[in-house]
Amino acid sequence: MDTDQLIAHSRARFDHESARRLLNEKYIAKMLFAHAGGMWRAGPELLTLLHACPEQDVVLLDLYNTPIQVNTLDLQLLAHSRWQEQMNAWLVEFEQVSKQR
Amino acid sequence: MTTGALIFAFNNSEIDYLAMAAWSAARIRRHLNIPVAVVTDSTECVDAFDKVIHAVPEGSGTRHFTDFGTNVSWHNANRTTAYELTPWDQTLVLDADYVVASMQLAYTLQAQQDFLCHRLAYDITGLQTFDDLNYFGRNCMPMHWATVMMFRRSTTAELIFKSMQMVRENWKHYCNLYGNPRSTYRNDHALSIALNIVNGHVLHQPDIAWSLASLTPEHELVQTDADQFRINYQTAQSQRKWIELKGQDFHAMGKRTLMDIVAHA
Repeated sequence: MDTDQLIAHSRARFDHESARRLLNEKYIAKMLFAHAGGMWRAGPELLTLLHACPEQDVVLLDLYNTPIQVNTLDLQLLAHSRWQEQMNAWLVEFEQVSKQR
Repeated sequence: MTTGALIFAFNNSEIDYLAMAAWSAARIRRHLNIPVAVVTDSTECVDAFDKVIHAVPEGSGTRHFTDFGTNVSWHNANRTTAYELTPWDQTLVLDADYVVASMQLAYTLQAQQDFLCHRLAYDITGLQTFDDLNYFGRNCMPMHWATVMMFRRSTTAELIFKSMQMVRENWKHYCNLYGNPRSTYRNDHALSIALNIVNGHVLHQPDIAWSLASLTPEHELVQTDADQFRINYQTAQSQRKWIELKGQDFHAMGKRTLMDIVAHA
C-alpha cells in the first residue's frame, strides 16, 4: 500500500460549499417536467401563477416561450408533486452533505 | 418515430474512445432506455451498440491533453455529419466522455424543439469560472457546447449541421470574422457560429434548460458506486478537498481518469 497516498486521502476535506452549490444545480435541473407539449419548471413561481388563474383552461408560456393550452388543475398537481418530491430529495442529500467530514 | 443516442468514437494513440463509448452505451440504455449507435472506424466492441456506423475519421489535428502531458492526434471533425449519419428520427448526440448517471437527459427528448444543446457549463469543483469556455473570440460570443446535442429530423436541424460543415470548411475565415484566436478546429465554436447564422444572428436561442456539469482534466475521478463518483482535487492554496456526485450527469473532460474507470468496469 502507498502510505503517502493513504495519508493524502485521509487529509482531504469534504468541500461543503461546492457540494451545496452542486446540489443546487442538480435539483434546479430536476424540477423540469414535460406536460401538454410544453416544458415546465416546478417551483413557487409556476405554482403561484397557477393559483392566480381562476379558469380551468388557460394558455401559458412554457420554458421555451411557446404558448401552451393547459388545464390548470392538472398542471398544478404535476408541478406540486414534482416540486415536493425533488425538494424532499434535496433535503435528504443536503443533510447527508452537512454531515460529511 | 425512432429515438436513440449517437456517439462518435475514433481512437487515437492515447485514448480508447470506443471503450468509453461502449461503457457509456450501457449507462444510456439503463437510464434513458434508448438504443445507442456508434460512429467509428474500428471493428472492436461493436456488440456493445445497437447500431454501428463505419466512417473514416476526419479532421486529424493535434491537441495538448494536460492529463496525458502530451500532444495527441485527435479526430473530432465528423461531428458535423451527425445529421446525415444518424439512424434515428430523434437523436441525442453525446460525447464519449459524457457520463450519464441519471434520467435527466430524457427531458431534452420530451422538449418540442428541433435542436437543443447546452449554453453554459460550470466547473464541478467551483475552482474555475469557465468564462473562457462559455464565451469565445474577441467579442465574447456566447459559446454553445457540442457535448450534448438533441435534434429531430427537421429543416432547422439540417441547416444547423450544414452550417457547421460550412464553418468547418472555411474555418480560417470564421476565425477572422469572430476574432477567434484558435487556429485548430473546435466543434463547440463551429456549432456556436452555426446557431448564430441559422437563428438570424440573435443571441437568444432555445437551449437545454440546465447547465453542463464539467470536470476539468487536472482532477481525479473515482467511481464509488454505479452512479456515484468521488472527485479529489486541490485548491490554489494546495488544500486537498473532495466532493461526491450522486445520480448526476457530467462531462469528464479528463480522459485519463475516465479511462481507468472504464478499464476496471
